[in-house]
Amino acid sequence: MAQEAHSALYDLLAVRGVSRRDFLKYCGSVAAVLGLSETMAPQIAAAMEGAPKLMPALWINGGSCTGCTESIAQVDTPDVASIVLDYLSFNYFETIMAAAGEFAEKQITDTVAAGGYIVVYEGSVMTGQEGNTLLINGKTGIQILEEVAANAAAIIAVGSCAVDGGWVMAHPNPAGATGVQAWLNKKGIKTPVVNLPTCPVNPEWIVAMVVQLLLVADRDPAKFLEITPMVTRTVNDKVTNADVDLLFPKGIFGQTIHDNCPRRGHFENGEFVTRLGSAEEAMGYCLYKVGCKGPQTYTNCPIVRWNSRASWCVESGAPCIGCGGLNWVDNNAPFLMRMSDMQLGGSLGNVQVGTAAAVVGGVAAAALVAHGLGMKAAGRVGDGPPMETAKAYDRKRGAKKGGDK
Amino acid sequence: MARTVIDPLTRIEGHLRVEVEVTDGVVSDAWVTGELWRGMELILENRHPEDAFWVSQRICGVCPISHSHASAQSTEQALGIKIPNNARIIRNLIEAAQYLHSHILWFYTLAALDFVNPVNALSANIADTYALAQAAGTRVADFGAVQKRLQGFVENGQFSIFSGHTGWWGVGEEKHPGYALPPELDLIATAHYLEALELQGVAAQIISVMSGKFPHHMTSIPGGTAFVPTEQKLDDILFRFTRVKEFIDTALVPDTLAIAPFILDAATYGGGCKNFLSWGVFEAEDMDPYSRSLPRGFIEGAKGLSVMEVGPEMVTEDVEHSWYDSPTGLNPAKGETAAKFTSLDTNDKYSWGKAARLNGLPAEVGPLSRMLVAYVKGVPEVTKLIDGALGVLSKAAGAKLGPEVLLSLLGRIAARNLEAAVVAEWSIAWVLELIGAIKGGSSDYFVTERGSDGDGAGLWEAPRGSVGHWMTVKNGKIAKYQIVAPTTWDIAPRNADGVRGPMEEALVGTPCVDAERPLEPMRVAHSFDP
Repeated sequence: MAQEAHSALYDLLAVRGVSRRDFLKYCGSVAAVLGLSETMAPQIAAAMEGAPKLMPALWINGGSCTGCTESIAQVDTPDVASIVLDYLSFNYFETIMAAAGEFAEKQITDTVAAGGYIVVYEGSVMTGQEGNTLLINGKTGIQILEEVAANAAAIIAVGSCAVDGGWVMAHPNPAGATGVQAWLNKKGIKTPVVNLPTCPVNPEWIVAMVVQLLLVADRDPAKFLEITPMVTRTVNDKVTNADVDLLFPKGIFGQTIHDNCPRRGHFENGEFVTRLGSAEEAMGYCLYKVGCKGPQTYTNCPIVRWNSRASWCVESGAPCIGCGGLNWVDNNAPFLMRMSDMQLGGSLGNVQVGTAAAVVGGVAAAALVAHGLGMKAAGRVGDGPPMETAKAYDRKRGAKKGGDK
Repeated sequence: MARTVIDPLTRIEGHLRVEVEVTDGVVSDAWVTGELWRGMELILENRHPEDAFWVSQRICGVCPISHSHASAQSTEQALGIKIPNNARIIRNLIEAAQYLHSHILWFYTLAALDFVNPVNALSANIADTYALAQAAGTRVADFGAVQKRLQGFVENGQFSIFSGHTGWWGVGEEKHPGYALPPELDLIATAHYLEALELQGVAAQIISVMSGKFPHHMTSIPGGTAFVPTEQKLDDILFRFTRVKEFIDTALVPDTLAIAPFILDAATYGGGCKNFLSWGVFEAEDMDPYSRSLPRGFIEGAKGLSVMEVGPEMVTEDVEHSWYDSPTGLNPAKGETAAKFTSLDTNDKYSWGKAARLNGLPAEVGPLSRMLVAYVKGVPEVTKLIDGALGVLSKAAGAKLGPEVLLSLLGRIAARNLEAAVVAEWSIAWVLELIGAIKGGSSDYFVTERGSDGDGAGLWEAPRGSVGHWMTVKNGKIAKYQIVAPTTWDIAPRNADGVRGPMEEALVGTPCVDAERPLEPMRVAHSFDP
């Protein structure tokens, strides 16, 4: 068994022409994505060496724009990452597979019958017009989801559309879009669902989830859920008319973008961009006042970055639009308007900007430090961003969304 | 006479169904079905006009840049905004990076498997492969190592996405006769297929540097751009454009010309409606759509290869064969979208796509349209490349071939890959133009001043064809929004008169030697990059 196990990894490395050193290095970066210490790299590598076989997988496109598929093609260090992804044998992947028509359809039926597979679901669940807003080979999209979900070992919902319906469920939700978990709850299908939001999904997170899967000795996807710390967030789903608990990997979605933002120092110093494309932008000032939703969006984008770490939204000069949030379009638009009810992370709840800085000597400071904000609390008390005018504007207006005009 | 259905048509963006009627080995009729409706236009109503830039691009994960640029132009027209010159150049560069990304991805990842059989590459002779690569002027790789790697995939049973492939390509006696490349060329193309996976990513990284991430980008906000380049970032962009250009010049273009002689029959079918629309793309300093690098124009097939001017008022959308019960034949400025599914019936309604028409005619959009319009208008970089390619084809065919031969499946493939070469060349020049502008003291990137009401029609070109975003803004909010996407033109169903859409028309007359494996119709459908 051990002999067999070793050869699986070494064959993969040899076939791809990747050195073991490069592979270990990559395992370190996967650890970082998961919020683990990079010293975990050898354990991750060992787990992969012990992987006895490929795990069958189906990549199903619901009401999607194919952006998440596009995104997975943008994975960091493609050769090494693809080794990780090769542990999943994608028997069905509409956008890139060679086969078409019934040859492709047969891959689904065979995989479902054999069991022991995982489903990666991209796009919204389309319930409008009795499900006919999405048709594939004479079936509705929801029929296909139910067929593949019931017998799956686990489901990874990739991209905000699969998580809660994404932009497609924004008001007035004309096509009746919802998320995977909400629909499975309604149908009484108990298969566990892990949610990876943002629009599109960041491919490094999918790789990290596959690694977690491999870290479980017997490749049991149900157990991979047990060893992956999760946070639960609840949404009220209007299509199924129920509260839905969604599971998110904590290492990735436990902290806000603001928590880890490289521009955070400018926020603390009260140095803001007030006009897009300005000299302040060239100096890398904070984008909060032009609408940045980083303070209320729980993803590790600033750490993982995008497109093989080339950059990410805030670094390019654009305020975060919070595409990793729940019901993100309705909650975050208008995107260029400053949010007055900003949140600074879980235990603090809703606080006004300025408040956090003002009380920073007390419990809040402890919480901020605990959150690893990188905030140099000492010497900063009372030196928070000069937000009094803005706060007065918010109080007068009494609105959830403020705007610096 | 028999019907064959391809559903799902894989290796495309989104969900598409193709039904063909085959008579004596040739397609005699065709119906193309768009299988998804999400209602983007209705979601955009009552929102702030700027927000459309971020939301509307999410209609397509493969060409979000172009949708967002059409949307931003529409907002800027409606609110009377003129963007600064630096922002114009930056948007052109982001758009160009998407073109290069998209064309590389289309040819190698999506379309190549219609012509290239990686399993056949296992029997290639390595010495002959090097000789062939040299003769074809295409990029060499460690072909022996690639072959071993392929062998590894096969022996490990790691077919993964190639699952079910033997059904299509066949092996031994079962081999589909459409796969006609020598094993050495299959090996070269497979080596470049693997390299292309990296290079499409490098092109996407350019977008990430200038606009946060790809797909779905961030900085071309109505008013200009939020991206302020630094020396470091200009360097990051320039070296990546240079790398991508090298791959296009040494792999994409020569591979196309090397494969073409083996599929010359593809020059005899797949032409379609022969009406070609381009809204024009890559803005010039005067912001006139007719002076764009790839200019605006319409070629009406019945009148020969001549270009006429076009405007947004010439567009209508018919819905007689689409699942809507809104009025038919409306101009998008007055357009309506009321979804109503009935059933999939090729004699009645059979698509979520509306039938877009220009002056009442179906119109093909995409690289072939842009290249033809630019060729007829005499854009020098385009005429040089197309005349060169026609020379190669003439030599292979043993007869002098004119530009009419491009009105075919082969022409549509060649046009896309030649366009990549033109855009790659321009992209380097545009980086230098931006550096020059900054050195000249130009430091404006964004205009905040704007009106609150108006109408806009942003007409632009995505890699896969003409894209139009129409909006009406009242009291600072979007009162009406309509999108006519590239695929709306190309996969259009019939209209009331029963006139087929461009892809349907291109399928008619296409051979189909094996009804179980309709390879040639699939190639034609893929050639539109739907």
